[in-house]
Amino acid sequence: MGLLLLCLGIGWWLWKGVAAMEDPEFIIGPAAYYIINTAEETGAANIVAAILFDYRGIDTLGEASVIYTTVCGVAMLFSKSKYKRSSAGLSFIARRGVSFLVPFLLLYGSTIILMGHMTPGGGFQGGAVFATVTILLCIVFGSSFEMSRIKPKTKETIESLGGLFFVFLGGVGLLAGAGFLANTAAGFPRGQVGNFLSAGAIPLLNIAVGMKVGAGLSTIFYSMVRVLELEFGEQMSEVEGNDKN
Amino acid sequence: MIKISYATAIFVFCIGLYTILSKRNLFKTVIGLTIMESGALMLIVTAGYVHGGVPPLIPMEGQAVNPLPHAFTLTAIVIGASDVALALALVIKVHRRYKTVDLDKIRGLKE
Amino acid sequence: MILTLAVIFPLSSAFVIPLLHLYGSRGLRLFLPIMGLGAFVLTLAAAASGFGDYALAFFGGWPARLGVVFVADGLSSVFLALAAFGCGASFLYFYEQMGTGPWRFYVIFFLLQASMNGVLLTGDLFNMFVFYEIFSLAAYLLVSYSLTWQAVEAGLKYLVMGTVGAFFILLGAAYAFIATKTLNMAALAASFPQMPKATLIVIAACMVVGFSLKAGAFPFHFWLPDAHSSAITAVSALLSGVVVKVSIYSLIRVSLLFFGDALPSVFDVITVLGVLSLLGGHLMASRQQDIKRLLAYSTVAQIGYIMIGVGMGTATGIAAAVFHSFNHMLMKSGLFITAGRLAEEIKTRNIQDMKGLYYHRRGMVLAFTVLAAAIVGVPPLNGFMSKWYLVVASVEKRSFLAALALVFGTVISASYYIRVLSVFYTPGEGFSEHESRRPVLAIAALFSACCVVLGLLPFFTPIWELFVEVGSKALNTKDYIAAVLLK
Repeated sequence: MGLLLLCLGIGWWLWKGVAAMEDPEFIIGPAAYYIINTAEETGAANIVAAILFDYRGIDTLGEASVIYTTVCGVAMLFSKSKYKRSSAGLSFIARRGVSFLVPFLLLYGSTIILMGHMTPGGGFQGGAVFATVTILLCIVFGSSFEMSRIKPKTKETIESLGGLFFVFLGGVGLLAGAGFLANTAAGFPRGQVGNFLSAGAIPLLNIAVGMKVGAGLSTIFYSMVRVLELEFGEQMSEVEGNDKN
Repeated sequence: MIKISYATAIFVFCIGLYTILSKRNLFKTVIGLTIMESGALMLIVTAGYVHGGVPPLIPMEGQAVNPLPHAFTLTAIVIGASDVALALALVIKVHRRYKTVDLDKIRGLKE
Repeated sequence: MILTLAVIFPLSSAFVIPLLHLYGSRGLRLFLPIMGLGAFVLTLAAAASGFGDYALAFFGGWPARLGVVFVADGLSSVFLALAAFGCGASFLYFYEQMGTGPWRFYVIFFLLQASMNGVLLTGDLFNMFVFYEIFSLAAYLLVSYSLTWQAVEAGLKYLVMGTVGAFFILLGAAYAFIATKTLNMAALAASFPQMPKATLIVIAACMVVGFSLKAGAFPFHFWLPDAHSSAITAVSALLSGVVVKVSIYSLIRVSLLFFGDALPSVFDVITVLGVLSLLGGHLMASRQQDIKRLLAYSTVAQIGYIMIGVGMGTATGIAAAVFHSFNHMLMKSGLFITAGRLAEEIKTRNIQDMKGLYYHRRGMVLAFTVLAAAIVGVPPLNGFMSKWYLVVASVEKRSFLAALALVFGTVISASYYIRVLSVFYTPGEGFSEHESRRPVLAIAALFSACCVVLGLLPFFTPIWELFVEVGSKALNTKDYIAAVLLK
C-alpha cells in the first residue's frame, strides 16, 4: 500500500513537471532544419532514416554495439551448456507451408533493409525479419536443422563483418576530412530523392546494420532455446519413459 | 489534448516502477522493466506530435510531425530490448541453480 | 580526429576479435596486446588534446546543434586519463593471468573501454545515454563473467538496479527534450534557466536518482558490494576504479552544466547523498569479515567523499572531487588487485584466516599496506592530500557538517583498515611458500609508488593549481556553450 502511494506520488509529481510546460504550435529546434533540408543535404526521402544514419549516425553505431554486447554476453552466459538433442519440429503440413513462405519472408526482409532510405523501415526492422525467419525454421524443422543450415560460426562472422563494415563506411568520412560517418560531404553520391540509388551511404549503412541485427538476434534466440531445450528435453524423456511403462 | 497522452505515459512509467518495487517474482521484475521503458518511450514519441501532421517522408503534403523523437525512440527500443534479453538470460541462469524465480526463496548473497 | 579514434579503435577491436578467434587464433595472440596498447595510447592522446583548450570532433561534419559532437575539456581529460590507467592495469592483470584464451572477455572489455570513452567525451545527452547503456551492459556481463552463482546473481541484481537508473536518465532526457526540443548539452545548458521550475525539479531529480543508482551512492547502493565482491579480481579493480568514476563524471558534468545557474539546490541534495553514503559505507565496511566485501563497502564510502566535493559546487570542491577520483582509482584498483590476488592464492576471503600473511607474501602485503594507508589518509600520501582539500572546500563553503562527516569517516576507516593490517602482521602459519608472480607485483608496486608520488607532488609543483583550473573551467558553463555552439 505504501509503495502504491509512493508510486502515485511520483506520478503526480512527474505530471506537475509536464503540466508546467507549454507546447509550441509548430516544430522548433533541429527538427525544423531536418524537415526542410534533408532532401537537399542527404538525398534520403525518409527523414527519420536520414537522422538515424546521417545526422546522428554515431547513435546508431552505439545502438548496434548494444545489440553486439548483448549477443556476446548471452553467448558467453550459455557457452558452457552442452547441446544434446533437437526438438522434433512440427507436422508435415506446417513444414510445407513454411517452406513456401520462407522465400517471401526473405524478400520482405531485404525490401525493408534496401528501401530503408525511402520508406519506413531500415536495417533494424529488416534484420529483425531475417532473425524471425531463422526462428521459424528452428521451430518448424527442429533446432538441429537450423543449426546445420546456418552455423553459429557463420552468424558470428556475419555479425562482426556488419560491425566492421559500418565502421569502415564511417572511416571513409574520417579520411575524407569531413568527420566520422560523413555522408555526402565525404563524396558519397547523393542521387535523386526517391530513387532506389540515392542518399549516399545510408543504404550501405542499412545493410551493415541489417547484417548485424539479423545475425545477432538469431544468435540470442538460438543460445537461449538451446538451454531451454536441455531442460525440457530432460523432462520430456522422463514423461516418455513413464508412458512406456 | 496532448497532455492526456503525457499523463498516460507517466502513468505507465509508474506502473512499471510499482511492479519492480512490489513484486517478488523475477520475471515480473523484468516485465516491470519493459513497462517502465514503454512509459519513457511513449513520453518521447508524444513530444513529436503535431496536430494534423503527416509522416516525415518526402514528398510531404502538409505539416510533417517532428521526426527527431522517432529516431530517439527507435534507438531506445533496441537498447531496451537488449537490456531485457540480457536480464532474461540471467534469470534463466539463476533459475537453473535455484529451480525457482521467487526472490524470497533465492537467499544467495543476502547476509 | 583523435577524439573519434579513442572511441572507434576499441570498438572496432571488439568487432575484430571474434573474426580473429574463428579464423586462426594465432592472429589473436599477435594483435591482442597491440589492441590493448592502442586503446591505452589513444585514450591518453585524447586526454592530452583536451587538457589545454576545448577539443571538438563533429560527427558527419554537422555543426553541434544539428548532429552529435564530442567535446574534451579539462574535466573529461582527467577522467580519460583515469580510465586509460585503470583499464590498462586491469587488462594487464587479466592478460597475465589468462592469456588469450577467454576471447569473449576481451570483446566485452573493449566494448566497455570504447563506451566509457564515449560517455566521457560526448556532448549530447541522448548519445550519452546510448554509450551509458553499452557500458552498463558490458559491466553487468563482466560481473557475471566467472559464471559462479554469486556472480550471476550479483550481475542480475546490478542489471535490474542499473536498468531502472537508465530509464530514469532516459525520462530526464525526455523531459529535457520536451521542454527545449533539442538534446545537445550546450544548447540545453543555454536554455535551462528559462524553464519552468516544476519541470526543472523533475529533470534534476531524475538525473540525480539515475546517476546515483548507477554510481551506487548510499540509499541506492545495494548492488554495489555484491557486484564488486563477486566478480573476478581484474573486474573488481576495473569496476571500483573506473566504472563508478564514469557515473561520477556524468553527475558532475550534468549537474554543473544544467543546474549550476538554474537550480543550485541540486548541489545540497548531492552533498546530503554524499554524507549519507560516506557514513553508511564506512559503518557497513567496519562490520565485514570478507576482505573483498570490505573493500566494496569502502568504495561506497569513497563515492560519498567525491559527492561531497561535487556538492560544494565551487572550483575548489570540484577540483578536490576530481583529484580524489583519480587517487581513488589508484588506491582501490591497487587494493583490489593485491587483496584479490592474495585471496586467490590462499583460497579464502575471510580476514581471520589471513593471519601472518606478511611473513609469506612480503611484497604484496607491503603494497597493500601502502595503499591502505593512502586510502585512510596517512599524511604524506595522496589520500591525505585529496581529503585535506575536500575538508578545505567544505570549510570554505561553510558546510561544517560535511567537514565533520569527512573527519569522522576517516576515523572509522582507519579502525577497520588497522584491523585488517593487524591480522596480516600477526605471526601465523599454514601458507605455501611462493611469492606472487612478478607482473602482478609490478602492477601493485607501480600503483603504490604512484600513491606516494601523487601525495608529494602538490608540495613541489603547482599540480594542485592544475586541478583548480580544471574545476573552475568546468564551472564556467558560458565558455563551454560558446566553444561548442559557435564553432
